[in-house]
Amino acid sequence: MDLQLFLLNFPYFVAIILFSMGTLIVLTQPNLIKKVIGINILQSAIFLFYIIVGDIHGGIPPIYDPNLPDALYINPLPSCLMLTGIVVGFSVTAFALALIVKLYIYYGTISSPNFMKMK
Amino acid sequence: MDELVQRLPFLCVIGTLVASFCMPVLARWKKELCAPLATLVSGSVFIVSIFIAHYVMQGNIIRYGVSGWAPPWGIEIVVDPITSLMIMLLSGICFLICIYSFAAIKHELERIVTGWYYAAYLLCMAGMIGLVISNDVFNMYVFIEVTGISAVALVASKGTREATEAALKYLLLATIGSGFILFGIGFIYMITGNLNITFIAQELDPVKGNYPFLIWTAISFLVVGFGVKSAFFPLHLWLPDAHSSAPSPSSAVLSALVVKVYIIAFMKILFIAFGLEIFHETFIRHLILVLAVIAMLAGSFFAFVQIELKRRLAYSTVAQIGYIYLGIGLGTPWGLAAGLLHILVHAFMKTCLFLCAGAIYYQTGRKKVNDFSGMGYKMPITMGAFTIAAFSMVGIPLFGGFISKYGLALGSLEADLPILILVIILSGLLNATYYFPIIGQAYFTQEDHAVHHTDGGHSEPKKFQRDQIPLSMLVPIIILALGIIYLGIFPGTVLNFINQTVAMLL
Repeated sequence: MDLQLFLLNFPYFVAIILFSMGTLIVLTQPNLIKKVIGINILQSAIFLFYIIVGDIHGGIPPIYDPNLPDALYINPLPSCLMLTGIVVGFSVTAFALALIVKLYIYYGTISSPNFMKMK
Repeated sequence: MDELVQRLPFLCVIGTLVASFCMPVLARWKKELCAPLATLVSGSVFIVSIFIAHYVMQGNIIRYGVSGWAPPWGIEIVVDPITSLMIMLLSGICFLICIYSFAAIKHELERIVTGWYYAAYLLCMAGMIGLVISNDVFNMYVFIEVTGISAVALVASKGTREATEAALKYLLLATIGSGFILFGIGFIYMITGNLNITFIAQELDPVKGNYPFLIWTAISFLVVGFGVKSAFFPLHLWLPDAHSSAPSPSSAVLSALVVKVYIIAFMKILFIAFGLEIFHETFIRHLILVLAVIAMLAGSFFAFVQIELKRRLAYSTVAQIGYIYLGIGLGTPWGLAAGLLHILVHAFMKTCLFLCAGAIYYQTGRKKVNDFSGMGYKMPITMGAFTIAAFSMVGIPLFGGFISKYGLALGSLEADLPILILVIILSGLLNATYYFPIIGQAYFTQEDHAVHHTDGGHSEPKKFQRDQIPLSMLVPIIILALGIIYLGIFPGTVLNFINQTVAMLL
């Protein structure tokens, strides 16, 4: 394996590993709070992925500088898209936590293998 | 005039969004006004959508860059024939369910959540319309989230233990699904550097030989994501709980509309952005066909063993989603047209069935299918509509379901896969095995035991009584039943819309 190529594309591997980890946590953990943490890991992996997609090797942050007419800026669009992604992640987390509070009132526990079982 | 019509689809979404945000405020002041306002909004969107459909049918396609930004930079809205048909369907069904909700919501929900319920309802409607008219993949993602979260809110609004549990399950799985979709969109952006579907198609065409693996990955992520969202068979786990524990108007919206708009979005990405060549070359088509066949059979089997009516209807949705995916997987003109027609027909049938289930629960409080003896005499109009919808579900001629199943059969002949006809017939028969016992029990069994006891053993001759449910619940059910018969006898108008789109896609 080409080590140089691997190191250059290292963040992509991290993003995929985090994404798989998040999905696994959501699907397998019985504790509901841990499930929500899994959702957050999954979404952070996607944010990371988008930010690397927009990255250009050796680019500088995309703030226009009149002193540097031919500077190489990174692509700001994916980072901007992820602002929306962060808002979505925030609202999903808030909603999930609200539902978990309600379930806690009904069951008296947030960690039960009885939740989410198939019927 | 032209300029106004160009803006109308966008205004529909914005208007619905604004109305939805007014709902909780309005509910603090006067709770009675929420339902009429929601009905007014969905009704006016329906009227506007008829205008749009009329304009589109004259051969125009609406292309509008939001707030004046030209397509590659701004968000573009495209309304082609199938999209205009979908807007009409979405707002029309939402309008009917809104009328139904007047009485049903008072009965099934606590009074305090009325405003929030209608807020979520209109938000869901705006999200669905936005999803079908958008031509920008990231904008699609945003509307997918809007629709998804508000659909979860519609389930959770009931507040019972089952509903809350089902809502949390739905929320977690739907978030995983949209995560997969977002990842897939990221891969598309990596390949093409564009988010507009038309431009993606242009950019992808010359370079698709260079990145076969990346295209494969993008499609796989999108299939999983949209599969979870639209309850494609092995990924349907959230659907039965969510649809059976929600209040009946919400289950009707969820089952009839929400799972379908994702299919429309998926189809747009698959056929327009990736193009037919990739669709045929990668094995995506075979995957969809195999899973659709399994869904059609397994969904019906699962439905057969359920005792609760709404759960049975929910599993039936899983099977019907299989039909729609079968049409997409066939990829022939008739197959695709039948799949799209089935979206429409199934929306009518499933809304009608869920509203009937809600009406039966409203009058008698019964939920189990084995308590329905004599129901045909207590509620003749509701059970009549139920029977029409069930016949259409089985695929009996003169009802809407027959046309789409016939089209699917023709499509499988076109695709040289005659074995699929056997599967379609088998699935239709399975549908009959779980709908006909309900109808048979409703019309052809003795009266309740309870009635026997009060009468001292004398069984009176069965008499038809008028349904004891409010008129606002009865009228939508009757309109939907008539719509199913209309689609079965005169499918020409609708097929005209669909064939124009199919000619554009294939």
